[in-house]
Amino acid sequence: MKRFDKGYIFSSLLSDFFSTLVILFIIFEDLFFDETSKKEDMIGAIPFIIIGFVVIYLCFAIYRILYYRASGYELGETEIKCNRGVLFKKRSVLEYKKIHAINKKQTLFQRFFGIAVLTVDSGATSSSQQAEITVIEKDKTVDLLVNELNALKEDGIRGAETPAAEADVLLSDKDSLYNFTSKRKILYTLINIVSTAFYTALLGALALIVIAFCKTVIQFDLLGTVLIALLITVAAMLFLSAFSFIISAVYSFVAYHKFTITRQGNNIQISYGLLDKHTNTFSYDRIKAVKITQSLVQRMLGFAAIRLEVIGYTDDNGSNNSAEIGVLVPFCKYKEVGEILKKVLPDYVPEKKQTRSASYFPFVSWFMLIWSIVMGTTLLSLLAILQFVGAPAYGISAVLLSVAGAGILILCIKLVSAALSYHTNGIAVSNGKITAYSGGFTKNVTVFLAKNLIAVADVTTPLRKKKGITSLVMHLKTNALSNEVMVHIQNDTLTKELEELLIL
Amino acid sequence: MEMKKLDKRVLTLWYIRAAITALVLAGVFAGAAGILIANDVGPLGLVAAGIPAALILCLTLIFPALRYKMYSWGYDDKRIIVKQGVIFRQRVVIPVCQIQDLHRTQGPFMMMLGLSGVTISTAGSNFNISTLTTAEADRMIDELEANLEVRIEELKNEKI
Repeated sequence: MKRFDKGYIFSSLLSDFFSTLVILFIIFEDLFFDETSKKEDMIGAIPFIIIGFVVIYLCFAIYRILYYRASGYELGETEIKCNRGVLFKKRSVLEYKKIHAINKKQTLFQRFFGIAVLTVDSGATSSSQQAEITVIEKDKTVDLLVNELNALKEDGIRGAETPAAEADVLLSDKDSLYNFTSKRKILYTLINIVSTAFYTALLGALALIVIAFCKTVIQFDLLGTVLIALLITVAAMLFLSAFSFIISAVYSFVAYHKFTITRQGNNIQISYGLLDKHTNTFSYDRIKAVKITQSLVQRMLGFAAIRLEVIGYTDDNGSNNSAEIGVLVPFCKYKEVGEILKKVLPDYVPEKKQTRSASYFPFVSWFMLIWSIVMGTTLLSLLAILQFVGAPAYGISAVLLSVAGAGILILCIKLVSAALSYHTNGIAVSNGKITAYSGGFTKNVTVFLAKNLIAVADVTTPLRKKKGITSLVMHLKTNALSNEVMVHIQNDTLTKELEELLIL
Repeated sequence: MEMKKLDKRVLTLWYIRAAITALVLAGVFAGAAGILIANDVGPLGLVAAGIPAALILCLTLIFPALRYKMYSWGYDDKRIIVKQGVIFRQRVVIPVCQIQDLHRTQGPFMMMLGLSGVTISTAGSNFNISTLTTAEADRMIDELEANLEVRIEELKNEKI
């Protein structure tokens, strides 16, 4: 069994140095930053700080050395083996044929020592931390391993005659099928900030309308104070949006530095990162769905993001285990989506909607029913309470009008959201491919192959059934939590059409 | 495909569960009423608080019967169909060939009544057939297992 590269110990010790400083800072923060602390106490604490540093750092160092001694990997004839762990030792064996994703990651410190971390996964885990195989090796060796494992996952057997892989087989930036240029990064950041500012301004404006309405009906000094507080809050939020723009812009440049998508045979490779460099490789056939998302502002300006839903994880954060899924293209024009997918994932180019929502009212009917009960009860209860505590008439009117205004405001937002849903929802079925259009404020277009459709459900109410309306739930073959796609208020003949696509 | 209704014992089980929930809710409402009385809210306040309490308790007791009425299930050699839901009625179709594994579960009340729940795991989602008699659940699992093997062989031949 080959041991990991010694660079692991050095790079870890370097990062541990800073971690130790942070731990000590947290412990002794009060002593140095408290105004009541005396100078003598500070000087007296220095030996303890030094001893503390040595003890903590020594613990880290011992752990790193033990980890290094206990860990290693081996390429067998049909499988890769890996040992790791200090207290809880883990031995993993993964057949080449069952490899799902091969990810390479380099932190800043690891780059100083010329090493990289390779994680190999079978698709059964949800993040690279849980991946079956971890190898820490010299950067060049990791590149060679990536290429060799990519070849072995197709062949399945590592023969004596297997030619040594060459490091330069890794795809270069020039082969990238998508470029996340500086201009796009700025736009991407701007739109994210505009989205936040838009919702803040919208809510602020609507709240102002409610307050202004109350003010015209009754003269109540408190309203003036509330109005000023509201204006200050909105201004502060807009200021924060401007500040976060700078932070987000820096983040998008650092996190998505040299963002490239390349394709070689059956493999898709996504690389990105300035400080932490990532290279994620996974097979084309592991992709189960492509999701094109558009926030309201992106929708208004004609931009979109493309995400992947695969078996296992797509990036080192394991983000596809939550509602989120792995990013394929973080930002592009909506009209470019088809063109990009044609180059990267030709089987997943979205089709135009063939069906439309059957009716608008079902999108709001239940909400309106429940909302009116909630609002009615709240208003009546408030009226009873205010009368009980003996509140003055103008006070009662102000509270009731504000609550009613807030209720109308939420209803308006729901009506807009329902209108957007009505226009968005729909389905296209062609050549064994399903394109599902769903969502309200955020539009989602999910493209998947019929062979990955696990089950179909239709949800309806007795009244909708009479009118031939149903909502469709399609269950996809993935291990992500977001493995359901729901398309609302469609004609019920679609259910039969989708059921026919199931492999029975 | 013949759709089957659930055994009468399932309704008993659901009523036992509903009674437990109702008892807990009644306790909460009684506590709330006590606080209101202590604060001299008066009969109007008590009536206002009592209406939602009575409504929730009624629903807790009526819901099992409605759920039982609407629930049906069935399977053949190719698919499993489950129909359920009181207001929002759902009909789900699960292909037999997509089954990854089948689970039979039993809680203490289910054991007392000779009932079992069946969970069908696929590569995407898990589906529950709420509660069957243990004999029905065992028969269903055995038959689905046999059907699955046959379907896998048939699909292999279809691909060739």
